Amino acid sequence: MSQYLPIVVLFILAVLFGVLSFAASRLLAPRRPSIAKEAPYECGIVPSREPPERFPVSFYIVAMLFIMFDIEIIFLYPYAVSHTALGTYGFLAILAFSVVFFATFVYEVARGGLDWGPLQRGRTFTVDAAMVSPERTMTSTIRRVGTDGRLPAPGTEEAA
Amino acid sequence: MLALDPILEGPLLWTPLFIIIGKVLFIFVVGLVATMFMVWYERKVVSGMQNRIGPNKAGPFGMLQTLADGIKSFFKEDLLPTRADRIVFRLAPFLAFVPAFLLWAVIPLGGDFSNGNDGTVTWFGHVTRVQLADPPVGILWVLAMSSIGVYGIMLAGWSSGSKYPLLGSVRASAQMISYEAALGLSLAAVLLSSGTLSTAGIVAGQNSLVDWNVISTGIVPFVIFLIAVTAELNRPPFDLVEAEQELVGGFNTEYSGIRFALFFLSEFMNVVTMSAIMVTLFLGGPQPLFDIPVIPGALEGTIWFLVKLFAFLYLFVWLRATLPRLRYDQLMDLGWKVLIPISLGWFLLLAALREFSPDGDAAESLRVVVISFVVAVIATGLFAAALKVSARNRAAANQPADNTGVTV
Repeated sequence: MSQYLPIVVLFILAVLFGVLSFAASRLLAPRRPSIAKEAPYECGIVPSREPPERFPVSFYIVAMLFIMFDIEIIFLYPYAVSHTALGTYGFLAILAFSVVFFATFVYEVARGGLDWGPLQRGRTFTVDAAMVSPERTMTSTIRRVGTDGRLPAPGTEEAA
Repeated sequence: MLALDPILEGPLLWTPLFIIIGKVLFIFVVGLVATMFMVWYERKVVSGMQNRIGPNKAGPFGMLQTLADGIKSFFKEDLLPTRADRIVFRLAPFLAFVPAFLLWAVIPLGGDFSNGNDGTVTWFGHVTRVQLADPPVGILWVLAMSSIGVYGIMLAGWSSGSKYPLLGSVRASAQMISYEAALGLSLAAVLLSSGTLSTAGIVAGQNSLVDWNVISTGIVPFVIFLIAVTAELNRPPFDLVEAEQELVGGFNTEYSGIRFALFFLSEFMNVVTMSAIMVTLFLGGPQPLFDIPVIPGALEGTIWFLVKLFAFLYLFVWLRATLPRLRYDQLMDLGWKVLIPISLGWFLLLAALREFSPDGDAAESLRVVVISFVVAVIATGLFAAALKVSARNRAAANQPADNTGVTV
């Protein structure tokens, strides 16, 4: 364990450096906090919304996949360091593990687990043609919303 | 065992203790000075590339600009945002810069490795290495410290209680763990050829140009490692973590004064240490290319180390000046769908070559390569099919969206 002694000393020194920096800053820096200064950063507007607490699920999938890959890496390192001692059996074991691992990875990709970005709104030619056609009128483009629950407009009472 | 620092083996007497303390202080100062230098160097080189002058007032060629900036940050108000988690917000800078310091501990900064020497030097009658410590788990130490660095960034963004830092830190953690997988897999190829985790042992194994890991593992792991390190460091073109145009300042938006300075310090220190680690792993560390006359062996190693280090530092600045930023989905696709499969496949190819053609016999090697090629083609086919299926599913999910609201 004595090999780690210098690292411990360096660790103490690094923490000390940080603590001393904070102490020096506390002594030297002005402290005039105001409400506006301490508000969460917004580009010049009054902060209105709480920071989001939920994220796209892709981030969680990436985190879970990473655990899988970390295990793969943990398996590879001992083999890589002592592959001469382990011989052909070690290689075959690593190969079998990698094949299984790769199969799950392919499945993951096929199920779209690693797809990123919003779905692209594909525009087909027929839709585009409809959008610019001369037959577009107010009656064809504006969807009529039902009048349920609305008070009848004044003057139309008799007509209805 | 080859991999240990001899000075720490015997009973701990006063002279070894003073040598250790001297080394710790030296590493500490080197770390700070190298970081200050790197900040200045980056600004100066980038300004040269952009036809500007860059820092030129403080000291000769503006070299003291970073020192001036650092001193200034002591005098700046240090704000604690109202919505911040007070304990974690204070802790995060430590989590970022303490690991950055500790990374220096295992890097061989010099020593006489020429002609098959084991890189030890004799100081005050004690045999030691020109590196702070040489634990047998050296490379795992590097990986561990760079993983803890992720926590610093993630907690900094999370504890700020503000939306831009939060988005930056979520992006950062996803990006850093993705590229850590590619980094770890390409590193396994180096371990295959070195057979040891100790950094001094890895350097000692690369005692001629053809033995340098960049050549002996094929160029592929080196390239993957370089890309992955650039992404780990959040350097352009992978700097989505602090993409100014979208996220203001990224994870450190809410930090000011000395806390921001510590993040800045750790970021640039990581650039230097990661370059040093690449030099150690792939370019033979202090191994000389040719013998420089007059200068003694131990000093020569340091000179060679610095020359190689500068090449990487320049490369990082050059990348920043040249390449535009990636989009987030491109970044993730590059990491997961290109770098990871290639590095895994390359590792298996190298392992097969070592297993079935240990003497490098041409006919046996050819057989292994041909079989590996066939396997690679099959794997690529499977992977391409998977990509196709996912693209088709995505297109199918898109379909109903095309016709809503339009009557043809």
